[in-house]
Amino acid sequence: MLKNLNIWFIFSLLISLTVIIPILTVFSSFFENTSNYFEILKNTFLFEYTLNSICLLVSVLILTFIIGTGSAYLVSFYEFPLSNFFKWALILSFAVPPYIYAYSLTAFFENYGTAYTILKNLFGEANYNTHIPKFDGMLGSILSISFSLFGYVYILTRASFLYQSQHLIDLGKNLGFTNLKSFYSIILPSARPAIVAGLSLVAMETLAEFGAVDFFSINTLTTGIYNSWIAFDDLAFANQLSFFLLLFIFALFIIENLSRKKAKYHFNARGGFKRKEKLKLNKSKSLFAFIFCFLIFFLSFLFPLSQMLYWTIKFPENLLDLDVINLFLNTIYLVFLSSIILILFSLISNYGNRVSNNKILNIFSTLSISGYAIPGVILAVAFITFIAWFDENIIKTLGFLSIKKIFFGSILGLVLVYFIRFYSLAFNGIKSGYEKINIYVDESAYLLGYSKRKTFMNIHVPFLRNSLLFVGILISLEIIRELPITLILRPFNFETFATTAYISASEDLLEAAAVPSLFLILIAALFIMITSKYILRDNNE
Amino acid sequence: MSKNFFEIKNVTFSIGGKNKVNDVNIFIKNEGDIICILGPSGIGKTTMLRTIAGLERINKGEIILKDKVLSSDKIHIEPEKRNIALSFQENSLFPHYSVDKNIHLGVKKNSPTNKNIDSKEIIKILNIEDILDKYPHQISAGEAQRASLARSLISQPDLLLLDEPLSNVDQSFKEDIQVALKQMLNKNKITTIVVTHDSYEAFYLGNKCALILDNEVKQFDDPYNVYHFPNSVEVVNFLNRGILLPAKVTGGNSLENDDLGIIRGKFIKHYPTGSSVQLLLQPEDLEHDDDSNLKLEVVDRKFRGTNFIYTLKTPSNRLIPVAVHSHHWEQHEVNEKFGIKRPIELEHIVCF
Repeated sequence: MLKNLNIWFIFSLLISLTVIIPILTVFSSFFENTSNYFEILKNTFLFEYTLNSICLLVSVLILTFIIGTGSAYLVSFYEFPLSNFFKWALILSFAVPPYIYAYSLTAFFENYGTAYTILKNLFGEANYNTHIPKFDGMLGSILSISFSLFGYVYILTRASFLYQSQHLIDLGKNLGFTNLKSFYSIILPSARPAIVAGLSLVAMETLAEFGAVDFFSINTLTTGIYNSWIAFDDLAFANQLSFFLLLFIFALFIIENLSRKKAKYHFNARGGFKRKEKLKLNKSKSLFAFIFCFLIFFLSFLFPLSQMLYWTIKFPENLLDLDVINLFLNTIYLVFLSSIILILFSLISNYGNRVSNNKILNIFSTLSISGYAIPGVILAVAFITFIAWFDENIIKTLGFLSIKKIFFGSILGLVLVYFIRFYSLAFNGIKSGYEKINIYVDESAYLLGYSKRKTFMNIHVPFLRNSLLFVGILISLEIIRELPITLILRPFNFETFATTAYISASEDLLEAAAVPSLFLILIAALFIMITSKYILRDNNE
Repeated sequence: MSKNFFEIKNVTFSIGGKNKVNDVNIFIKNEGDIICILGPSGIGKTTMLRTIAGLERINKGEIILKDKVLSSDKIHIEPEKRNIALSFQENSLFPHYSVDKNIHLGVKKNSPTNKNIDSKEIIKILNIEDILDKYPHQISAGEAQRASLARSLISQPDLLLLDEPLSNVDQSFKEDIQVALKQMLNKNKITTIVVTHDSYEAFYLGNKCALILDNEVKQFDDPYNVYHFPNSVEVVNFLNRGILLPAKVTGGNSLENDDLGIIRGKFIKHYPTGSSVQLLLQPEDLEHDDDSNLKLEVVDRKFRGTNFIYTLKTPSNRLIPVAVHSHHWEQHEVNEKFGIKRPIELEHIVCF
């Protein structure tokens, strides 16, 4: 271990430790006593919470897999009307967080909602409410989360499809495979790591999802955590539920890793990559592909956008009441600050892991990225718990002034918890970029006289440019949409579009929530459009 | 006694805590010499190169270049400070730079060596002029390997390490490149260690060859001696250029085999009369003579361009390889009888 002790190693270790602290807080609290609520919950609702969480998770995973992989396959391999448009239009779904999708679903299908208004305008007054389906409760949650999150599967799978060489496809043809057989026996298995990575992100987001689930009053482990903290003031039990959630996530990872065994899926960069040719579809298949992609685009983006736009136009007074410029500046400030810090530190940490090749550091890094699995609400609470403990037991003992004010209700505290929450996203995103640089490249650089720092700056950073931009965009989108951490840790009178929308919706003022929601969608969409070429960029270009 | 340009003294090469090659002692006498490390796949040849380059550490022995200790149990000079170039077998080109940029990244300003290596000449010799503007993912494995080789050469190293440098190169111009490479290395006095599992490549390129077998250097000698005077059965088996026949020493310069009779020649090592030995018989040792009364059955015939290699079966069911010039006036088909000239006289007798 000492042989590998260098500045990169130390820095990486420090970053990992910083991220791990709140996670350890969650783990350590598992052994603490809890209030009676635990007993009540154990005997009554725990089963329901767990069942709902599993039901939600499995349904969302199935739906995002079908939508994400299906659309990625169609736009990567086939030419059909607007296929190039759908290529980037489908990622606009990222602009709509699940809770805003939930508001839109409710607004459209509720009694006397938008659907009712449309039918009334078309066919005149009648009792349409009984015929309009209601997408609320569990179904509403599944749809909201799936249409908001399938983009993870879509983007990662599509990127993997792009890296697949034409040789693979030709091999399938040579073996006499039909397109369908090539898809499930060659294309899909070789994209498996990307699909699993996408689904893992979806799984973690789903388990951590609070806004939409809370809106539809579905009791899951996450709402259980929130209730045990807010309603019963039982932080320890909230932490225990989080611990349970973490075990759940780890179990999923382990199962996936075991099933993969030692199979390698990445493209071995020894030259000889041959770019795929897109196939032209015949009329009926082309129509099917178009309808499939258009439906996903419509349901995931156009539908919530138009619903929010409709309400904003219908109730213009809400727009005038809102301090849009201030909300915009606050949101963008958080986004840029957090993204830059996250990218910088994750990049350094990744490089530290690479050059140190140290088992201990690897373990710490693996643990540290589990922060993403912890619901934002519990992470915020764990952070508060730790700072309070640290302040009381270390800072004050040493005779220094309290540090609580520095971290509580401050931008620093908020950004730090964002860092812990989204470190996994940044670390893994950059890691997947790093995996494309084989280790011989580093060694060649050393042998050409490059120091580690020069190799990092001159070889890695330029190569990873696209990965960094991609990661930056993902983080930005997460932060624009993030709700619970911002709600709990934001400074006094510091609002973002997300918090404003949530506060209005929680006061049953869905019409008022429409304006900040619309701005949130538009900013996020603009962000996606400006940078879509980086998100979707084929690295072989 | 003059000092060696490069030397490995009592080094045990290991990777991941596992010893690969033990107690190695090899050296390069003069600047510009080429040595080849020969051995089967997975034996640790690449580990040796990586260690010499400074990418792996050693716990025992010393690696010395130009009188300076690069590696020992206490010293480890970082790879970037060694001025040693390693051309990997794998594609090690920087993926985001063109081939041209990749190659010229090897050019070192203020290089400590004063070799006037002409990059244009290298690019021409390695036949990569047409791919200079391409990116690594757009070229073949063989082209990537040649580009990587060019980059290493241009870096003007004190010591050049080549790991299976031509393994992905087309056979059609592999030999041309071998010739040009050797000329270039000699002309510019670039001291080189080549790792290969191809004994012909090693024999052609190397001033000396080190054979790695069973986790140790079995033989370190010039190519002629390695081929004609292998020092162990393992070396014979690895080179696969002959067979071992049981024989009995009948005198100071003769022995007898049950199938071939008396064989005469000069022993390279003394054996007492009457002792049982294993005689090394190589394809060029026996001569074709259909007038001879010693006739063996042809069981196989391989066309090797300049030669045919016959595989003959002896009465005791042993298989013997015999090389015959392909222009030889009378060739034989499988199952025919093939005469062996008697008396059998060998240039030298190698026994174990």
